[in-house]
Amino acid sequence: MAFVNIQNLTYKYPLTKTPALQNMNLQIEKGEFISIIGANGSGKSTLCYALAGFVPHFFKGEISGEIEVDGAASSKSTLDEWVVNVGLAFQNPFNQISGAKYTVFEEIAFGLENAGVPREQMKSRVEEAMQLTGISNLADRSPYSLSGGQQQRVALTSILVMQPKLLVLDEPTSQMDPIGTREVFSVIHNLTQSGMTVVMVEHKVEWIAHFATRVIALKDGAVLTEGKPSDVLTSDLLIENGFGVSRYTSVAREAKKQGLWKKDKLPVTLFEAAEGFNTK
Amino acid sequence: MHERLSFYIKRDSLIHRLNPLTKLVLVFAFIGIAFTFPWYWIGLFLFVFVLIPLAFIAKVSREYFFTATRLILPAAGFLFLMQALFQPIGEEIIFQFYFLDATRESLAFAFTIAARIIVMISAFTMLLLTTHPSELMSDLTRRGLPGQFAYVIISTLQILPQMQAKAQTIIAAQRSRGLDTESTFLKRAGSVLPLVGPLVFGSLVEVEERAIAIEARGFTSKKEKTSLHEVPDTVTDKTLRWILIILIILSILLNLWLS
Repeated sequence: MAFVNIQNLTYKYPLTKTPALQNMNLQIEKGEFISIIGANGSGKSTLCYALAGFVPHFFKGEISGEIEVDGAASSKSTLDEWVVNVGLAFQNPFNQISGAKYTVFEEIAFGLENAGVPREQMKSRVEEAMQLTGISNLADRSPYSLSGGQQQRVALTSILVMQPKLLVLDEPTSQMDPIGTREVFSVIHNLTQSGMTVVMVEHKVEWIAHFATRVIALKDGAVLTEGKPSDVLTSDLLIENGFGVSRYTSVAREAKKQGLWKKDKLPVTLFEAAEGFNTK
Repeated sequence: MHERLSFYIKRDSLIHRLNPLTKLVLVFAFIGIAFTFPWYWIGLFLFVFVLIPLAFIAKVSREYFFTATRLILPAAGFLFLMQALFQPIGEEIIFQFYFLDATRESLAFAFTIAARIIVMISAFTMLLLTTHPSELMSDLTRRGLPGQFAYVIISTLQILPQMQAKAQTIIAAQRSRGLDTESTFLKRAGSVLPLVGPLVFGSLVEVEERAIAIEARGFTSKKEKTSLHEVPDTVTDKTLRWILIILIILSILLNLWLS
């Protein structure tokens, strides 16, 4: 069975009429780097919350279907047990800082304190995690004195230090500048290289094309299409449904209509575009 | 860097090295004795002969005197005036101020109250100056204080300056759209709503996100929490705490016995 298995998942937030997720089916294998795209209200964040256990354990509401991670079912677990297996980081780095700690080192140790990890082990795990994300030099700074990119990496580290089996990221770079985006992506890339399973909601198409192993497009709370980034991100289905595509894809699409694009496949990145236009 | 709402001065002194709970007990000993010990000059005595030397021992005398002159003494002075003029006790009028008069008894009473207040705030100031808030809270949590309670205290201390900064941003944003924040009182009062609205509603949204963020890190885990920092609790600490508790009890007993 797949590492992550979502079966017939339908979920409705309290006090809403239409379900946020409708009969969703999704399988994810261990070590995949999944990127999720979709318009506002397509259920991206809800899917993230569902994977991380906050739907339904935190938000309540009506749920049917099943979410399984590594053989364990979310419905049979409580939130505090579930969060140990699935780490969640989201958009606003500022709101992910606990506010209970005065230094970055303490901030990262917060989750381990809650989990009751012994002190000596805690220190080495925090140091290891900080090395992994390249923020060892920030250990003694106040989390509030950092830049957005640094704060987001602290938030990521705070989750990674808990050693989750699955990492769920809800638009972690949406408030970052290009430098911050690169910092965050390189950390996630390193993680997937070492075998971490990652599910990431992300709009920066060119970055997805570079790093993701699979792209899942959501619409109205269900999977619209999924597949390899180079296939999904250039498919007509995406444009018909109003998804944003890379500017290189748009250019090549237009060029193809006028016979200037000779290749069969449309590009996503600058490199692919340059290569394609060179093909005679 | 944002300003933090913390009085803690990082220094190495005898007092800094004490266990936070010992210091907390010390604070309550000061308060307990100042309020119950049946001697008229006890407040002044504690202030001059115990608290001030303590400030020097703790190496925070400069910061302490700063707080004392700016906050503690003015507050105590104000309280003294109020009590002296408004307490309707005593016959022997010392001086009059229009229809208000200060008697020998009301002056004595006001002095006692003011001295107690000075001792109380000074003792707390000393605690805050020499104890890191997270150390205090992690020690108390280890002793059974609910983690949620400790979280509320610490995060409030940290998040208030952030809220202040955000309020400043909102004020600047609304002023740039022509909101009047500087003219007559009524106009300024009217401009409170467009300032408070975004701040309050924005904060409510943030609270939910922050709840999710700390929950994702196992905040409500039922496992027994551990703490990154080891807070030392020595035999000296334990002995000192018992001595202080005995002193408080003696003071209370003496008070009951003499009254």
